[in-house]
Amino acid sequence: MILAVLFANSEGNILVERFNGVPAEERLHWRSFLVKLGADNLKGVKNEELLVASHKSVYIVYTVLGDVSVYVVGKDEYDELALAEVIFVITSAVKDVCGKLPTERLFLDKYGRICLTLDAIIWKGYLENTDKDRIRRLVRLKSPTEF
Amino acid sequence: MAQPFLKKDDDHDDEVDYSPFLGIEKGAVLQEARVFNDPQLDPRRCSQVITKLLYLLNQGETFTKVEATEVFFAVTKLFQSRDLGLRRMVYVIIKELSPSADEVIIVTSSLMKDMTSKTDMYRANAIRVLCQITDGTLLTQIERYLKQAIVDKNPVVASAALVSGIRLLQTNPEIVKRWSNEVQEAVQSRAALVQFHALALLHQIRQNDRLAVNKLVSSLTRGSVRSPLAQCLLIRYTSQVTRESASNTQTGDRPFYDFLEGCLRHKAEMVIFEAARAITELNGVTSRELTPAITVLQLFLSSTKPVLRFAAVRTLNKVAMTHPIAVTNCNIDMESLISDQNRSIATLAITTLLKTGNESSVDRLMKQITTFMSDIADEFKIVVIEAIRSLCLKFPLKHRSLMNFLSNILREEGGFEYKKAIVDSIVILIRDIPEAKESGLLHLCEFIEDCEFTYLSTQILHFLGIEGPKTSDPSKYIRYIYNRVHLENATVRAGAVSTLAKFGAMVDSLKPRIFVLLRRCLFDTDDEVRDRATLYLNTLGADGAVEDMKEFLFGSLDIPLVNLERSLKNYEPSEESFDINSVPKEVKIQPLAEKKAPGKKPTGLGGPPPAPPSTIDAYEKLLSSIPEFANFGKLFKSSAPVELTEAETEYAVNVVKHIFDGHVVFQYNCTNTIPEQLLENVTVIVDASEAEEFAEVASKPLRSLPYDSPGQTFVAFEKPEGVPAVGKFSNMLRFIVKEVDPSTGEAEDDGVEDEYQLEELEVVAADYMLKVGVSNFRNAWESMGPDCERVDEYDLGPRENLAEAVNAVINLLGMQPCEGTEVVPSNSRSHTCLLSGVYIGNVKVLVRLQFGIDGPKDVAMKLAVRSEDEAVSDAIHEIVASG
Repeated sequence: MILAVLFANSEGNILVERFNGVPAEERLHWRSFLVKLGADNLKGVKNEELLVASHKSVYIVYTVLGDVSVYVVGKDEYDELALAEVIFVITSAVKDVCGKLPTERLFLDKYGRICLTLDAIIWKGYLENTDKDRIRRLVRLKSPTEF
Repeated sequence: MAQPFLKKDDDHDDEVDYSPFLGIEKGAVLQEARVFNDPQLDPRRCSQVITKLLYLLNQGETFTKVEATEVFFAVTKLFQSRDLGLRRMVYVIIKELSPSADEVIIVTSSLMKDMTSKTDMYRANAIRVLCQITDGTLLTQIERYLKQAIVDKNPVVASAALVSGIRLLQTNPEIVKRWSNEVQEAVQSRAALVQFHALALLHQIRQNDRLAVNKLVSSLTRGSVRSPLAQCLLIRYTSQVTRESASNTQTGDRPFYDFLEGCLRHKAEMVIFEAARAITELNGVTSRELTPAITVLQLFLSSTKPVLRFAAVRTLNKVAMTHPIAVTNCNIDMESLISDQNRSIATLAITTLLKTGNESSVDRLMKQITTFMSDIADEFKIVVIEAIRSLCLKFPLKHRSLMNFLSNILREEGGFEYKKAIVDSIVILIRDIPEAKESGLLHLCEFIEDCEFTYLSTQILHFLGIEGPKTSDPSKYIRYIYNRVHLENATVRAGAVSTLAKFGAMVDSLKPRIFVLLRRCLFDTDDEVRDRATLYLNTLGADGAVEDMKEFLFGSLDIPLVNLERSLKNYEPSEESFDINSVPKEVKIQPLAEKKAPGKKPTGLGGPPPAPPSTIDAYEKLLSSIPEFANFGKLFKSSAPVELTEAETEYAVNVVKHIFDGHVVFQYNCTNTIPEQLLENVTVIVDASEAEEFAEVASKPLRSLPYDSPGQTFVAFEKPEGVPAVGKFSNMLRFIVKEVDPSTGEAEDDGVEDEYQLEELEVVAADYMLKVGVSNFRNAWESMGPDCERVDEYDLGPRENLAEAVNAVINLLGMQPCEGTEVVPSNSRSHTCLLSGVYIGNVKVLVRLQFGIDGPKDVAMKLAVRSEDEAVSDAIHEIVASG
């Protein structure tokens, strides 16, 4: 299951956080853990270069995209490789929505669309759609072209 | 909350400097949400408000029940709009608001209309929303549409239904299991993602049917699976089947190995990796089987993608534990990973190398690690320290360089846990490698010269006191120890005084000089330090037997510290000095929750007092020391204490039931809470008329029960051997009470006989069951086999909810829930609970409980029992039937 998707700005403030199957009382812990992980390791990292960590049986893949950092957390079938796939889908879809690498302002301007995009990619902790063109259509309630 | 950010560079010139959500407030947004009620809806405006609501929710903001309901009702009005963008937002916000069961009805009809709409995307989204907010009743109404959706030609619709199925399987398995045929059809879909989702769901539906999973895997490994994600799932399922069937093969050929090996040549890296990992995890994997997998993992080690490097080194790290030789080929690649920017990868590489390195590579490796240590966090360093400790135990001849490494890092900056890990490692090496002892002790001595952690200083001083006197030149440690007396806080100073005394006791030549040092400690500012110095000077200077003195200094305290503390508090200063022999040695009964933590790693430094034994050991020791019970045989089980009095009564009594094969002993733990009374000759009179199979055989009274000093009295019963007899016992506390003069603490000579009614006590079937878990229930269940299986169904009647029914049955049987199955998801309509235990006579028992609840909260249960003895399986059913 994909336990969490989190976006933060360069100062570690949360822009989007979506948890699946994580009890409410553990969320704060996860949030601060991820933000600290980013603060310790993301300085000087190139855009979309993936970093990876594991904590007990949970995997974390994270990266920088413009002014925002993106974290995905998973367990079981969503190990580091599956999460790399998930984060790739997320970063390409976000770039697609923003038209370029997002600044924080641009990200917030496109906030509603980004929420819809995330909803199309992950639902209830499962990866549902991976193709960015299809995702773009789904956000507009359009059927995919390829079938 | 996100703060407005400052202008960073010229690229941002065209942007306003603040966030579009600057100053956003929940109250204001909720006000704005009133636009949803406008007769003329403005889709753009409504979408903006929903975005703000989503922003608030994504920041962790919560809505009260009233607020959420109000917003939800307003949102439902937006179904009137035909605007596609707005509709998409509506679907998302309904899911985020998660309306309660009584509110769902408002949107059900709109969503059901969308679900049967001709517009594919309405269908897909409506399915996702409905399946999130629905309950079992509504689900049966929409089941037909969901089944159609699974085989819909639009992959988005099919995926929506399948992913919903995965989710609903947790809460409504019996409904989702009816969709097998459709899901089976979807597995053959040409759309890659549909196949992936269908395969995941089909496997979950069939996961408890080994044959079906085997068939599924067999057919798919022959066919073509389109998406790499689905292929990864297939590899996992294949590996599971292989693991379970490995023991069945006679020919030696491993089923599906060729498939796994073939996947190593797949074009997707994720598939290659999954196959490699599956091969490394095969039971009893041979070197020949392992080689191709290790080869691809080795290639991944030099990949440009950090995730692949991490995955490869993580897998090799695991392989190194069982097949270190197989991994040695990768050592050169792993050495280059020590400088990897990603510290998780570097740490894994180091620890793998430490496992696979040979004796000749140790020095080179240590050189590399030294440069690496300075730039990783403490938690990574601890992992490395533990690996170095194992390496040193593996190659004792290398102790010099490894010990030097440990002492060097001990001098550097670091937190308590890190320093403790190093000290523990040095101590273990000193204990296990005699040649390392002297240098190790000196390293520890140097460390305490500049140690900021009192705990570590005192522990090292204690260790020095035991090991130092046995070295060739004990005098060289004295300077370090005595320095502590001058430079440290009182706790460390007191520890140093004790250590000095130990040197004095063990090394005769040092004794006069130790006396000089101890005498100087008599002028210390701290009471404890002075007291210790006085005590040791007297002990060492006394003419008593040397052995007694050593026993006093080095022996362990065989009195529970709590008892000693209580006795000391009760001791009134008088002519008569405190007698340590008067302290009761019985362990006060600890609540079960305080039992020792299982599986704790051995630590290097054992603290001075030995850890108290576990409760069951303590009981066994206690009972075997009483002659009347000594011949009862092995203690099978001791129950948790059952209270027989209300809280805060004059006399507090609880009872522990000790079960033996042919006897039951009740241990009554009594506490007298009245300072003005002394109880003597305390017994419990037990009436066993409602426990026909029990006959009283012995009773052990408690001679004296002073105020606030717990004591025990016992009553033993004989019962038919090996039979789980049950019964009810009524209890009366009988004693002689004597008045105590509070000013002198003396009791009057004459007492009065008195009685005190206690609650009833029951011996139940669960008392004959030990809670013993199994790590893999499924394997245990399969290997137990169906020979002694008994299955039956029971009606448990109306219950509050499913969780209550599950708990009641678990408590009735007294067994250990496995794999977290005791937790029932809220609102679920059915649940499976797995239990394991050992029944009296040492018979292993496994139980599979399947619960279902219907509308008026009637719970039905199917009970399947497997054990090594069919009589026991029947007995479990009897317990449930009569419970």
